[in-house]
Amino acid sequence: MRLTINGETHDVAAAPEETLLGVLRGRLDLMGTKLVCGRGECGACTVHLDGDPAYSCITLAAACDGAAVTTIEGVADGDALHPLQAAFIEHDALQCGMCTPGQIMSALALFGRNPDPSAAEVTRWMSGNLCRCGAYPKIARAVLAAAQAMREARGR
Amino acid sequence: MAGKRTKIKGKPAGRFVTTTVEVEGRVETRLVELPAFEPTPWGESARLDIVGRRAPRVDALEKVTGRARYTVDVKRGGLLHAAILRSPIAHGRLVKLDLAPALAIPGVRAAISRTEIPAIASESGHLFQSEILYAGQPVAAVCADTPQIARRALGAIVTRYESAKHAVTIADALAPGAPRVRARGNLNAAPRIIARGDAIRALKTADVVITREYRTGTALHSALEPHGAVAEWEVDRLTVWESTQGVFNVRDDLAAAFELPVTQVRVLQDHMGGGFGAKNGASTNAYVAALLSRTAGRPVRCINDREAEQSDSGNRPATVQRVSLGARRDGTLVAITLDAEACLGVGGWEGGPARFFHELYACPNVHTREQFVLTHTGAMASFRAPGHVEGAFGLERAMDELARVLAIDPLALRLKNLAKKNPANGAPYSANHLAECYRDGAKRFGWAKRPKRSGGSIRRGFGMAAQVWGGGGGPPAYALVRLNPDGTAEVIVGTQDLGTGSRTVFAQIAAEALGAKLARVRVVLGDTERTPYTGNSWGSITVASVGPAVRMAAEDARSQLLEAASGMLGASAKRLESRDGKVRVRGGRRVISFAQIGERLGQVMIIGRGSRGPNPEGRSLSTFGVQFAEVEVDVDTGIVRVVRIVASHDCGRIVNPTLAESQLEGGIIQGLGYALFEERAMDRALGVPLNPNLHDYKLPTMADSPIIDARFVNHADPKANHVGSRGAGEPPIIPTAPAIANAVADALGCEVREIPLTPWRVLAQIRRA
Repeated sequence: MRLTINGETHDVAAAPEETLLGVLRGRLDLMGTKLVCGRGECGACTVHLDGDPAYSCITLAAACDGAAVTTIEGVADGDALHPLQAAFIEHDALQCGMCTPGQIMSALALFGRNPDPSAAEVTRWMSGNLCRCGAYPKIARAVLAAAQAMREARGR
Repeated sequence: MAGKRTKIKGKPAGRFVTTTVEVEGRVETRLVELPAFEPTPWGESARLDIVGRRAPRVDALEKVTGRARYTVDVKRGGLLHAAILRSPIAHGRLVKLDLAPALAIPGVRAAISRTEIPAIASESGHLFQSEILYAGQPVAAVCADTPQIARRALGAIVTRYESAKHAVTIADALAPGAPRVRARGNLNAAPRIIARGDAIRALKTADVVITREYRTGTALHSALEPHGAVAEWEVDRLTVWESTQGVFNVRDDLAAAFELPVTQVRVLQDHMGGGFGAKNGASTNAYVAALLSRTAGRPVRCINDREAEQSDSGNRPATVQRVSLGARRDGTLVAITLDAEACLGVGGWEGGPARFFHELYACPNVHTREQFVLTHTGAMASFRAPGHVEGAFGLERAMDELARVLAIDPLALRLKNLAKKNPANGAPYSANHLAECYRDGAKRFGWAKRPKRSGGSIRRGFGMAAQVWGGGGGPPAYALVRLNPDGTAEVIVGTQDLGTGSRTVFAQIAAEALGAKLARVRVVLGDTERTPYTGNSWGSITVASVGPAVRMAAEDARSQLLEAASGMLGASAKRLESRDGKVRVRGGRRVISFAQIGERLGQVMIIGRGSRGPNPEGRSLSTFGVQFAEVEVDVDTGIVRVVRIVASHDCGRIVNPTLAESQLEGGIIQGLGYALFEERAMDRALGVPLNPNLHDYKLPTMADSPIIDARFVNHADPKANHVGSRGAGEPPIIPTAPAIANAVADALGCEVREIPLTPWRVLAQIRRA
């Protein structure tokens, strides 16, 4: 099976029961995507499949044949952080950081659908991503700040 | 757990003295080495550049790019994957166990049960014992080439159990004829009674007495990184990566279990995905990984799946608290009594609600009695302010009920009973700004101007609660600060960063004391082999314990640096100052950068050494805080929405306001979950947990988060230690649940006495009222 991950093509011989998360972490050493609940309940394993958010812990790898997968490792452009990553740092939108890759992938998917989300839209969209440290107020702030920074960058 | 602990015998001498240290309410007298020098305390007026600054988290870049490596991410060549077989029954005996069918599966490399391993102590007795005391108890483990094969192998192990009757709730365990959890019965020990004055007599003479019963549920830590370890043997040397709050504790536990000198055990941890109290020693996973690795001759990874994490990695015990308060008409408390039960499960320690009742208010007569109940459920573990969170719900709810009976404002009642000294032992505090917290929080919240109760189906309510906790820390803790030829500095310290931000805080303290640029200071931690000892990150003690050691190491390095620079600048070291990565002659123009000094020194190293000195004699080191809550309760659905929380806390000097606010917000959101949603549900008939996952055990989400105004009164406490800080990790969660419950009671106009306040509990309360 052929997976395109962060623009790179990988030929993978995954077992039929292997999840996309299992392939990312177990076979490709892309450890940024986290396994937390294993049942699509917490959002920590969120990646993008052809631009749409997906829980990689309950997505079979076999179902991703030919798909373009984006993980947290593919968000920054080399050393240049995505504005959302920069906003997470600036607003301290993380503590332990286990949920952070999933939070960032979810918020990016939101921007893909709605580049100008309201605070209420951010809250509703992001409520599928659990954070046990309780960084929510600052995650919300970072997502809104990043959306604004991206709008301003586009406007220039 | 299995550690052999050496008792201190005989009197220490010379530089070795004793000091008193409090951790999570347990007061210990410890031996301490007097530091070679004590830096001048950073008092309130100290002019500091980097300490107190809103610096970004030093490890944020790694975390937002997915590069941060946690224990769950550790990979080794030839790594095998372990899986643990757990008992499906709550009580009884494992009468048959056959590993052979599992070992016959291709790709399975080892399998172990009680017969293959030495005796390793666990909360239920011994690891893999045949006597079953709770559902989820480990009975065997396998390791295989892939996690899938390991899971399949578990299914192939042949087992037969004989089940016995179980008791999984406090009521069931205390019922006549209840099945016994231990031979000694279902009480862990004799009731624990703590008393001052004569509360029973004082209750008889009080103008007003209220007696109420409060209940709290069993809460689960639910750290997103589960308990887990990776173990690897090189002949007789064991290396373990573990997600832990104490690498040295894990090292000592493993060394004891495997009868190895500590030089043969190395415990490592880089990033950690939360602990919240449940990761204080070597976990089952660490023992299993080490045992399987020794058998298989390859590195083994043993990580809890979510079900195991939610059912067998500790919990906050459920409590029943019968509280009586006696007061004069003017609100002066004359007596407090508590009769409580707390549910330990099969084990743990006696972290009960009582101490909070002794510590918050000035009251001459306090009597508490706690019974610690054993049940056929997983053992409790410290959970962020263990005991105080439960006790705060009982006492602070009762204070509001008393305020209503007396027709006194809840804030006025609390101010009336403000403690000037530690009421539990009469000692003066190193510092106590609780009164300022009350004033600051009330003003910010608009407490005095809060509207009266509203009608309609959405009712608005307002509540508040206060908090006291330790967090003064103490010795032993050591640090080294090493200056490199390029002018960079490393802080080498055996602590850990659970996600709290300790790495950042220590970089700031070191940069401040050294006069270095923050970006040129790196903190190296989490390695028992290559860093000096510091203790567990628990009891909110890390900054107050380790911070002074880091500062002293940096000051020591600085004085050596100035000495080296004095020749280069042609001025005596006394006339030099260091700042922003440069050394300059005070009042002069001559200046030299750390890198230039380093270049001239070549490989001659400057190494500063720091240790944590003793605590001040006869002082109570405590943290304080107040939280105010506004809620909306839908009386048709029973749904409670927390609209906003104003929190005002006193934790001494705040090293990094942004990170401290994050701690406050996080504690409040966990407290909100405890107040409204979080409860482990047990199936009483089957004795198994019903919600060991993240869907049915309800954690707060972003949509549940209120507007939080996180504030610190931020006064340095130079009497506590020379950095001036006390802990901030646990205090924020303590007053949240009672503040919310008090607001719900205010909204409904009827009392609520059991948390979590799920919709059905709220509706039942409305119907009863």
